[in-house]
Amino acid sequence: MERSKQKQMSQNENETDAAINGHFDGRAKVPGWSAGGAAGTPSTVPSSSVMESWREERTRSLEDNEMSLPSIAAAYTTILRGLGEDPQRQGLLKTPWRAATAMQFFTKGYQEKIIDVLNDAIFDEDHDEMVIVKDIDMFSMCEHHLVPIFGRVHIGYLPNKRVLGLSKLARIVEIYSRRLQVQERLTKQIAVAITEALQPAGVGVVIEATHMCMVMRGVQKMNSKTVTSTMLGVFREDPKTRDEFLSLIRS
Amino acid sequence: MEYQKAAELNGLCNGKIVTEYLCRNGFSELTVDTKKVAVQHKHETSRKEAEDESRLPALEAAYSTILRGLGENTDRQGLLKTPLRAAKAMQFLTKGYHETIYDILNDAIFDEDHEELVIVKDIDMFSLCEHHLVPFFGKVHIGYLPSKKVVGLSKLARIVEIYSRRLQVQERLTKQIAMAISEALQPVGVAVVIEAAHMCMVMRGVQKMNSRTVTSAMLGAFREDPKAREEFLALTKSAQ
Repeated sequence: MERSKQKQMSQNENETDAAINGHFDGRAKVPGWSAGGAAGTPSTVPSSSVMESWREERTRSLEDNEMSLPSIAAAYTTILRGLGEDPQRQGLLKTPWRAATAMQFFTKGYQEKIIDVLNDAIFDEDHDEMVIVKDIDMFSMCEHHLVPIFGRVHIGYLPNKRVLGLSKLARIVEIYSRRLQVQERLTKQIAVAITEALQPAGVGVVIEATHMCMVMRGVQKMNSKTVTSTMLGVFREDPKTRDEFLSLIRS
Repeated sequence: MEYQKAAELNGLCNGKIVTEYLCRNGFSELTVDTKKVAVQHKHETSRKEAEDESRLPALEAAYSTILRGLGENTDRQGLLKTPLRAAKAMQFLTKGYHETIYDILNDAIFDEDHEELVIVKDIDMFSLCEHHLVPFFGKVHIGYLPSKKVVGLSKLARIVEIYSRRLQVQERLTKQIAMAISEALQPVGVAVVIEAAHMCMVMRGVQKMNSRTVTSAMLGAFREDPKAREEFLALTKSAQ
């Protein structure tokens, strides 16, 4: 039932904004956020319409999880047999259930909404210097091969009189990374979520990750890392701000 | 035979070759039948590849079910061919089932008058946890004291590949590598140390990012003589 709603929703959005992976891809829904920059202009958007876009995120519930567990476990049993293993041997007896639960954990980002995580932790502070939280460990799943991606996320933002609880930045990372992802999209979703929550003067997100699909198979390059970044607002327009951010995350 | 039991535990013996090899205790008996076995093996490999292809649709269907069960929309662009890619990836990650020690070691055992420790260390290893189907990876250090027979160095890494590209438990993996070398070369001693990070512990469950699991297998002189073991461990300790 929920899924057909999602399908309908995604079909509607394909015509306009192409909501991918449960979130509007890339559009910060704050008017006045044009290329000209809105540094210093307080947002006049009533908070409810900003929250609207959050509400449209896909949610999966714990009941959904429980109901789909048997079919996912059966699929894993098929996979074990298809690989030529014996699903009845001692080490593999409960593996389909463990693997299914593990996979549901790795995609638990679908069960969570930004609005729940952030609801209370936005504070009015008279602070307009850069705030950075770096070296946030991130674990995600490659949506093309269903193989892990892991790395570090560095987030910086220039508050506009509103600051966010620091762990909430890490929780935003968790919500978006615990999904079937593409690193570019993940970076953007984190940046857009912070933008929509705080309306800061600027946001910068850098992710440096290792893709197991490149390390364990395919080209098999052990030491390769993929770096993606999203700079919004002042970080995009002002090179000095961006430089400060990049040098602070490097140190 | 312990080795046979250990190898049977880890699955699949598709081809007759493998069971024949496992049933015999050593290498010498097989050299007589080299040609016949080699021809048989070629048929086996192509049969296994064909088998892989034929199993792909079932794996694809299973992955589609999983994606749908997780609440994803399998028609979106990024996921259209994911079942196929994931199935092929999984087959690659378990390709060790198709390979046998015999094929890779066949020609690379040489008679050398060398009786000192030979170590190949920092061999990158990638395997799949058989309990959660999630990767674990790390480094393998292998050392052996030859008894007039040495093996081509890359063959040690290939032995690691064969046994690690399976659904594994780190303890069993360590033992299988040690036993394989022991059976192939009959050396004075074999030592294998594996240090790995388990994603099932890092990405989920307890979520301890920096934990590492270390297992070792010491056979022959490495088990009996503490000095030999010490030398091996000292030489494989990397400056971290």
